[in-house]
Amino acid sequence: MAEKNPSFVLEKAGSVYYEDRPVPELKSPYDVLINVKFTGICGSDVHYWVDGAIGSFVVKQPMVLGHESSGIVHSVGSSVTSLKPGDRVAMEPGVPCRRCVRCKEGKYNLCAHMAFAATPPYDGTLAKYYSLPEDFCYKLPEHLSLEEGALVEPLSVGVHIVKQAAVRPGDSVIVFGAGPVGLLCCAVAKAFGASKIVTVDINEERMAFAQKYAATHAFRSQRESAADSGARLIRDCDLGLGADVIIDASGAEICIQTAIHALRVGGTYVQGGMGKNEITFPIMAMCTKELNVKGSFRYSSGDYQLAVDLLASGRISVKELITGKVSFKEAEKAFTDVKAGKGIKMLIEGVED
Amino acid sequence: MIMKTDEQDSNPSFVLRAIKDVAFEDRDVPKLRDEHDVRVHIAQTGICGSDVHYWQRGRIGDFILNSPIVLGHESSGTVVEVGSAVKNVKVGQRVAVEPGVPCRFCDYCRSGQYNLCNDTIFAATPPWDGTLSKYYVVASDYTYPIPDHMNMEEGALVEPVAVAVQITKVADLRANQTVVVFGCGPIGVLCQAVAKAYGASRVIGVDVVQSRLDFASSFGADDVFLPPKPESGVDPIEHAETVAALLKEKFNLGEGPDIVLECTGAEPCIQAGVFVTKKGGTYVQAGMGKEVVAFPITTACIRALNIKGSIRYTTGCYPAAVDLVASGKIDVKRLITNRFKFEEAEQAFELVKAGKQDVFKVVIEGVQ
Repeated sequence: MAEKNPSFVLEKAGSVYYEDRPVPELKSPYDVLINVKFTGICGSDVHYWVDGAIGSFVVKQPMVLGHESSGIVHSVGSSVTSLKPGDRVAMEPGVPCRRCVRCKEGKYNLCAHMAFAATPPYDGTLAKYYSLPEDFCYKLPEHLSLEEGALVEPLSVGVHIVKQAAVRPGDSVIVFGAGPVGLLCCAVAKAFGASKIVTVDINEERMAFAQKYAATHAFRSQRESAADSGARLIRDCDLGLGADVIIDASGAEICIQTAIHALRVGGTYVQGGMGKNEITFPIMAMCTKELNVKGSFRYSSGDYQLAVDLLASGRISVKELITGKVSFKEAEKAFTDVKAGKGIKMLIEGVED
Repeated sequence: MIMKTDEQDSNPSFVLRAIKDVAFEDRDVPKLRDEHDVRVHIAQTGICGSDVHYWQRGRIGDFILNSPIVLGHESSGTVVEVGSAVKNVKVGQRVAVEPGVPCRFCDYCRSGQYNLCNDTIFAATPPWDGTLSKYYVVASDYTYPIPDHMNMEEGALVEPVAVAVQITKVADLRANQTVVVFGCGPIGVLCQAVAKAYGASRVIGVDVVQSRLDFASSFGADDVFLPPKPESGVDPIEHAETVAALLKEKFNLGEGPDIVLECTGAEPCIQAGVFVTKKGGTYVQAGMGKEVVAFPITTACIRALNIKGSIRYTTGCYPAAVDLVASGKIDVKRLITNRFKFEEAEQAFELVKAGKQDVFKVVIEGVQ
């Protein structure tokens, strides 16, 4: 293709630039080429932009940013059967190897050879074109916009967390953190039949939004011990013997500690949020209360399709989470705004034709 | 990298051309299809009831023989060629071959149930060729190295052991549970052995052939049972209930075993199996017989039974099977009653078809 692929590239911490790169070639007959239309920004994108690394993932060479995208299929490989040019799709940005034990047991999010957009060394989706295998693209029904399609990625993160938590109808659920992932966890928990959903945050505005959006209760943190906070949570929100499920979408040490105290015996705790690598953890309470404690990482089989279905059926709405849109040329401004904590979800439009 | 082969190397194959019509053919040495493939020089192949069924009836369910296929799927061999991306095996390595490679792209594959993939390429299931050839090409992650002390016959028996591992996985067998296995053929006795290896407290094998019960006693079963024949005029369902009651009484199974593995496909066994399972217990259908049977469904309902089907194997079954054989927990050599050279393959199939009591597992040596 004579056309070029304008891309938004992170050179190293703090330095981004635009570059015309080659249009990706379809490496397999099962691949499709997508014209990217909208890309949301995640805390991890900002983190790479600011620090040039997350843990052992270090940006050693320039890397295209972005991974929360939707687009329109441009062309398809010869073995593609379910998509055609013009189809609008949500893009699942991580392609596993399909051959290792984790992949074959159904946990491809844990694949050691995962190629994930905008996790070094793999380029991300903030470009005009991006290629993916057919089974990592999910057709959007007519009544869902491409903007909503870009929210499928964080929604899938929420779906995966709530599935890890095994929320059942009638459960009481507390979600620490009312950022995009926390909000979406509340929405998914509601769709899964949770009868009580408590949102916790230090930001009043975010909590007020969460209560209008999907939570049934809000809890204001105070300066107190985690044990006291946990006990107060149970009292203030009428949680009886404690919550059935608690999800952390904050990564904050005090939230994690509070959660262990706010769970009922036999309850389930899921770590979704990312903060300090190591924290002080109430392990004896976890032990004697026989809690199920799990991690949650990205998304795996069935999560993306469930996210699309929840949006398509109207059981979850994401339109209200989109608080800003900028053109491709203003991408850096979006990063600056997200870093400053403005709004909920900022979208970057695709390259103009 | 390739092991040196004769320029005139060919691929002698045992082919099912049409129902009841088998022949030897010289086919081309198969080529690797991509960088993940390996070529295996097949050493030993066991015969399964399904192989005989395609030969005699030309179909199992929706799988219909429409064009010639090479037979065989329970094999071991030596890797002679590897694709450039292969890391888990080397040329010269001895392996057990998992004969069904799924598509890796569909929802079943992605959710950890690759045994349910609609586009699986399964050796000797029409239209796919099997392993009764000199060489067989397969994706490298479907070959499993076997340790030096395991011989190639044991390597070929890994396949039915993997079937038994999957059956116990589906049953969710836990330590100290009681298990009744209907059928003391190869799959039945292997289920009994796997159940013991996995900590079952009591395993009881059921069959109508005394010699098979005798073998099962010496293999994995703690106890064996030969059900009485039904008296003339007795309703089959009543008889099945009688058999179930006898089983529970004779072996002090209380309200019934935790787990029943049905490895015969025979209607009277299916019925007795449902009646004998304890309340809340698990019944797994592994055996294949009549497609439609009279099933005690009300019993299944009011006793809140978990009833599941089991087919082939999933992730982890082959490595577990290799380990069960390699560690000596299951002595598969004892299942082999007859051995044939490659040129005698048709006789081997005739022997299995004849169904004599003293014939258990028949293996066919590969092309030298």
